[in-house]
Amino acid sequence: MTSRALGARAAATVRAVSAPRTGLSTGGRAVRIGLLYLILTVIALVFMVPYLLTLFAALKPIGQIFSEPAWVPPKSLYLSNFRYDFVSGDFLRYLANTALVTVALTLGQVIFSIMGAYAFARLHFPGRDKIFWLYLLTLMVPNAVTIIPLYTMMRMAHLLNTYWAIFLPYVLGAPYTIFLMRQFFRNIPQEVIDAARIDGCSEWRILARIIVPLSKPVIVTATLIAFVFGWNNFLWPLIVTNSQSHYVLTIGLANFQSNMNSQWNYSLAASVITLFPLGVIFAVFQRHIIRSISITQIR
Amino acid sequence: MTRVVSPLPAPARLVKRKKRGGIIGETSGDHVGRSGLQAFFGALPFITPSFVGVTLFLVIPVIALFVISLLNYNLLSPATVAGFENYANIFRFDDAAHSLGVTVYYVLLNIPLQTIVALAMAVILNSKRRGMGIYRVLFVAPYLSTPVATAVIWYWVFDPKLGVVNALLSDVGITGPQWLSSSHWAMPVVAAVNIWQYVGYNMLFFLAGLQAIPKQLYEAAALDGAGPFKQFFRISLPLLNSTMLFVLVTGVIGSFQVFDTLYVLTQGGPGNSTEVLNLKVYQVAFVDFRLGEAAAMSVLLFGVILIFSIGQFLFFKNRTTYEYSA
Repeated sequence: MTSRALGARAAATVRAVSAPRTGLSTGGRAVRIGLLYLILTVIALVFMVPYLLTLFAALKPIGQIFSEPAWVPPKSLYLSNFRYDFVSGDFLRYLANTALVTVALTLGQVIFSIMGAYAFARLHFPGRDKIFWLYLLTLMVPNAVTIIPLYTMMRMAHLLNTYWAIFLPYVLGAPYTIFLMRQFFRNIPQEVIDAARIDGCSEWRILARIIVPLSKPVIVTATLIAFVFGWNNFLWPLIVTNSQSHYVLTIGLANFQSNMNSQWNYSLAASVITLFPLGVIFAVFQRHIIRSISITQIR
Repeated sequence: MTRVVSPLPAPARLVKRKKRGGIIGETSGDHVGRSGLQAFFGALPFITPSFVGVTLFLVIPVIALFVISLLNYNLLSPATVAGFENYANIFRFDDAAHSLGVTVYYVLLNIPLQTIVALAMAVILNSKRRGMGIYRVLFVAPYLSTPVATAVIWYWVFDPKLGVVNALLSDVGITGPQWLSSSHWAMPVVAAVNIWQYVGYNMLFFLAGLQAIPKQLYEAAALDGAGPFKQFFRISLPLLNSTMLFVLVTGVIGSFQVFDTLYVLTQGGPGNSTEVLNLKVYQVAFVDFRLGEAAAMSVLLFGVILIFSIGQFLFFKNRTTYEYSA
């Protein structure tokens, strides 16, 4: 008997042994796979239907929202709700405010975190590890706990009701992001950096020309974390702003919701306005986002 | 860069992990022969922004929180020393015990169910079939959505008269409850909304953990006659220990601070049935302007979060952690 035939026979034996164990005929297998997709599709519907119904409602006049079931799609492209929100509801201003504050927060947080992480990962200086431990300790401070002292600080600095107040506490870098970046920067081969140093590169140049291009995944992650945090932030802007001129989308939306009580056409259209930019980012970067979230786990 | 793949599968071994390498790890060798002072000034520009940020916006506020919690402070008149009176007052007059109970109730409604569902979803998505990537993306979308906006949406979905939920229930002949206006149902609805928002996010960590488990372990177990359930409880679950710890600790910390969803959905009502600590802190501090009492309540919240986090670390530390090594 050739070795190949022997192999084939062994394989056949394994199949014969393993088939009863899985205990499923081809028909049973198909049913099982069908069931798997059915379960997944039901879950996916639960996840997506609220968005879809909201979009439907935002494109309907109030009369239709009251008179027909939510799952009936709009008959025509009715945009008056959005026009009302942007113009009378001041959402154009809220959108601009949110964009301004979020972009400032994101740029600052990412750039200053990169700088800090580089120092912790790649430079030697006295007290480095002690300072890093201090950063790590602050990871244990819940956001909710710093709200009252930060508010009193902003008040003393006469920064209440300014754009500065909204992003200042988060713009100088985030310990969590610095931690993630430091882990990443440490894995860059030392030889690459040494070669650049020998060529006379300054630390800034090494950071900008070598470290940053090699660390795109973690920088994208940091950018996404900062952007989503800034865009969705609610409690802090709620506390430090009290004039409509400085409201961000979340504040405008929450106020709208409580003032407009059952005028669902306007508040649901406002939800669409708030979520739309995030939806675009999500659609464009979805693969990257999934990977980014997975690398944020501290093990 | 090419990766050399060994033609033969390495023998699978489970090694009991003795001690984690310190979180800081060994230092990578860089500058040699520079004086300390010179190195310090070289690093200064890199470190200064984040150091100022951490000190000014994290370290000082924590210290200031304790100080404010010992003051009578209402923003209008100068602060006076109150000592520990604020701590007594929040229990005597502000029903902090009730808020604490409501918060714990919310966490208990939220975390176990969310973790089990996230794990189940990860197991389903871990099967190597077509289209899993699309489902994964759909499940994660709520995590990135603005909580205030999704809360507005769910408020509408659970509206007793107009909402989809009661419309569907009446189609099958059930008169739905008043949901958010019912002190019995309000908290479960809020918990359900938060589970919807975060379960996909937690699922991702479990999925990453499952995918890191080598296939040989399952093959070996199957040869020994272990069925899918035994494989899950004897291989997957123990090897997901560190993922579980991460998901639980971050989930519990986040749940204790729930605010946005509740602010939109219930404002603490009906009555005070959903008045969690963080909402109460907001009301006492920024509606009543009693910052001393609010700070005392924040300290309470901080303490409870720390106790729960440390408790979970100790629980998981006592369980054996396995690490795969080839």
